[in-house]
Amino acid sequence: MADILSIGKSALSAAQLGLSTTGHNIANAATPGYSRQVVVQAAAKAQASGNGFIGQGTEIAGISRTFNEILAKQVVSSQASSASSATYASRLGTINNMLSDSAAGLNPAMSDFFNSMSDLAANPSDTPTRQSMLSYSQSLVNRFQSTNSRLNEIRNDVNTELTANVNLVNTYAKQIASLNNAIENAVSSDGNPPNDLMDQRDQLVTELSKQIKTTVVPQGAGSYNIYVGNGLPMVIGKTLMSLTTESSPTDPSQLEVSYQTSGKSTVLGASSLPGGAIGGLLQFRSESLDSVQNKVGQIALVLADTINTQHKLGVDLNGNPGGNLFNIPSPSITSNTNNNIITNAVISSQVVDSRAITSSDYRLQYDTSNAPNSYKITRLNDSTVQTFNSLPQTVDGLSFNLTSGSFTNGDDFVIRPTRNVATNISLAITDGKKLAVGSATLSAVPNTTNVGVATISTPPSGSTLTGTLGLTYATGIPATLTMSPSTQPVTVTVAGIPTVYPPGSPITYTSGATIAVGGLSFVISGTPADGDKFTISSGGPGDNRNGLELANLQNQSILNNNSTSYSSAYSELVSGVGNKTREMNIISTAEAKVLEQATTAMQSESGVNLDEEATNLLRYQQAYQAAGKMMQIASQLFDTLLQLGR
Amino acid sequence: MRISTNTIYQSGITRINNIQSDQAKLQEQISTGRRISSPSDDPIAAARAIEIASAQSSNAKFADTRQTAQLKLNTLESNLNSITSLLISTQSSLVAAGNGTLSDTERSFLGSELKSSMEALLGLANTKDASGNYLYAGYKTNTVPFVATATGADYMGDSNQQLLQVDSQRQMAINSPGDNVFQANGNDIFASLSTMITLLNTPITDATTQANYNAGLATTIDKMKDSVDNVLNVRTDVGQKLREIDELDTAGSDRELQYSKTLSKIQDTDYASALSDFAKQQTIMEAAQKSFVQMTSLSLFSFIR
Repeated sequence: MADILSIGKSALSAAQLGLSTTGHNIANAATPGYSRQVVVQAAAKAQASGNGFIGQGTEIAGISRTFNEILAKQVVSSQASSASSATYASRLGTINNMLSDSAAGLNPAMSDFFNSMSDLAANPSDTPTRQSMLSYSQSLVNRFQSTNSRLNEIRNDVNTELTANVNLVNTYAKQIASLNNAIENAVSSDGNPPNDLMDQRDQLVTELSKQIKTTVVPQGAGSYNIYVGNGLPMVIGKTLMSLTTESSPTDPSQLEVSYQTSGKSTVLGASSLPGGAIGGLLQFRSESLDSVQNKVGQIALVLADTINTQHKLGVDLNGNPGGNLFNIPSPSITSNTNNNIITNAVISSQVVDSRAITSSDYRLQYDTSNAPNSYKITRLNDSTVQTFNSLPQTVDGLSFNLTSGSFTNGDDFVIRPTRNVATNISLAITDGKKLAVGSATLSAVPNTTNVGVATISTPPSGSTLTGTLGLTYATGIPATLTMSPSTQPVTVTVAGIPTVYPPGSPITYTSGATIAVGGLSFVISGTPADGDKFTISSGGPGDNRNGLELANLQNQSILNNNSTSYSSAYSELVSGVGNKTREMNIISTAEAKVLEQATTAMQSESGVNLDEEATNLLRYQQAYQAAGKMMQIASQLFDTLLQLGR
Repeated sequence: MRISTNTIYQSGITRINNIQSDQAKLQEQISTGRRISSPSDDPIAAARAIEIASAQSSNAKFADTRQTAQLKLNTLESNLNSITSLLISTQSSLVAAGNGTLSDTERSFLGSELKSSMEALLGLANTKDASGNYLYAGYKTNTVPFVATATGADYMGDSNQQLLQVDSQRQMAINSPGDNVFQANGNDIFASLSTMITLLNTPITDATTQANYNAGLATTIDKMKDSVDNVLNVRTDVGQKLREIDELDTAGSDRELQYSKTLSKIQDTDYASALSDFAKQQTIMEAAQKSFVQMTSLSLFSFIR
């Protein structure tokens, strides 16, 4: 009888355990990272008897969680990729949206600038038109500045987020290390796995992988060793390493992630930290943000420089040569903080030919292993390396020069010719009269009603003339040219032989002869008719030749070695960002799908299904009722025996 | 396959979210009328839209410049018109001066008439345009082009023609330098008139003075004819330019229409397809919501009593 009772009791307690485990599953159905638990039940050891083995009821082997390590690994790794591409896509989306506003973009400001230049060419002496041209120039400068300051804000946001994310990584690592400790203690004390603690730790690993690529290597009695990025140990058992952020040695405006080990910190590049939000941010910054900002800077630099160059060829309303219209900042140079401070090499860099300038940054390294070609200049966007045995050198329209000090092996400089141009550009002229719309080139024209066929050459640049010089041709033997006014001697050079005519006397005409008078020289060739006239003059307020040249720059191919116009360069930038955003959105959607599938697969094994738990509830309830009934019957059986003795 | 309750809810939410975001996108396209709201929607079209907008803006600017050119050429044309009338009336005075019965006094009257004509002509030659620039001074638009002298007038301007960019490949001269109008081919109108005035004021006393007078008059009539022809040539040239501007305007508006059409094709929402897509998404959304509610309302617990 005792056997039946104890069998009943084992069934009863097994059913009770089943019920409470089912309850636990129901209670945690929505807990993140929870793995459903099952009671592992086995038949108790049977008792041998003459009649065979008599069953002794049931035994609880333990309560285990349903957890598949391979599926969990897939979730962790797809979580890291998904978080990385989602972060990249969302940050790039900010730039994409910024460029989407067609009214606020750079293009309308550039169009307005050139349109006002055309206006000025059509009304060269009109003061309001000159002032309006200046205010459109200022608007263009403002648009460049605001575009770039928005990009700088995005760069600052990346810094802030990196700091927050690195803190999270450290916090999670710390929690994982302490859970390692608790789990190890629990396992060693009674041999049973602490399911809920293990769930918590796996959940932390998943959270960690949202920030950074995470690899788990189980070790010993239930400990996890955690590696981040490309295999940097973060948690080894109970030992903890940490990440931190610090200013980039080559760019003080941005933070880099560095790895702290035994008091030393090593800066990690984007390539050694793939995956997770941190990887996404670093990749976004080095791949997209830098390039967008440089391209905006390149457009600003080239536009300002080519306009300046053309503007300086003109003369302003006061008759003075044109100056710069824009002030262009010099390339920014950063010496690596690890450079030798005793030899203290200081370098300088100038834009020599803006049409050849690329949107890339450059690195100048002094590397004696390459001696005598120790000067190594790398174009960073495509890693093209050129080596030289001396400075100064010019690469892609950019000069590199040593200003002071001397180089030590390993010295390293980063030169950014375009990065900050859009921020620091400014207008150099505030007086509309100083806009050089006229041409400094003297004009030399045959009178439009001339009858003969003859041309006059434009005096070379640098020629000077006050007022107007007229020449009248007269037939005869010899044919002559009369100058008015004629107050200076004239030198006529025919086939290398000069003849000097005194002021006031007609000069003999020879087709193709060089005629020099005062500060200018010119050539008349052909067969003029009697009375034909030629006039040489400097410009006046109605001279708009340089204005036309300036306005025409709009449609010329100028950037990247005369291959792209300003507005094409901008539209290339916009379509580049659009394409990349689209690509990142597709990748991010695809990786979210992979993560969803991995999570579903893991959930299908570990997740709680409430219908299933309802079934279990009924099953254990009935098992409990049956066990109770059995114990009642055992008790009645015992009563039957006791009744026998009455 | 075993499905966890979390997965049922999660995938239901994910799917409904996706449909909602597609709907929002369509709704944005419908309400803004723009198919591309950011470059990533269609990077190639976004870049083309920028290029076309640039070309459109330049085209509009050329139209503006043509208007300026038209205004200046019209001013020039009307001034040349006055000059022509004045020169023609001068010619009739010259014909009258050929009448052999005129007395010295009558000729001096004609001389005064010619003098006032010359002064009027000088005034016309020194006309300013609406912006206060001299019409016939070349680039020296702030310099009085003709200054009267004892023997006519000296030209103080230059021979330059101001060019305007009236189309992408066309620069048009919109002024005519004074030497070109009044002093062409060695025929200085002012000098001719001045000589003639002197002759008219010189009494005819004998055969020599009569012969001088006759010869001078004949020369002047010839020269005036040449000068009138020259002014008419300049006018014809201006007229041709005005006609060319009209043609360029027509071409410019055609181009504008093309740009607008292309831009609209690239950027604007195709309402037929957008609305039908939206209706389709709505049906899918209703089905997704309904099936989700039905699926989640099925629970074994509701049968446990």
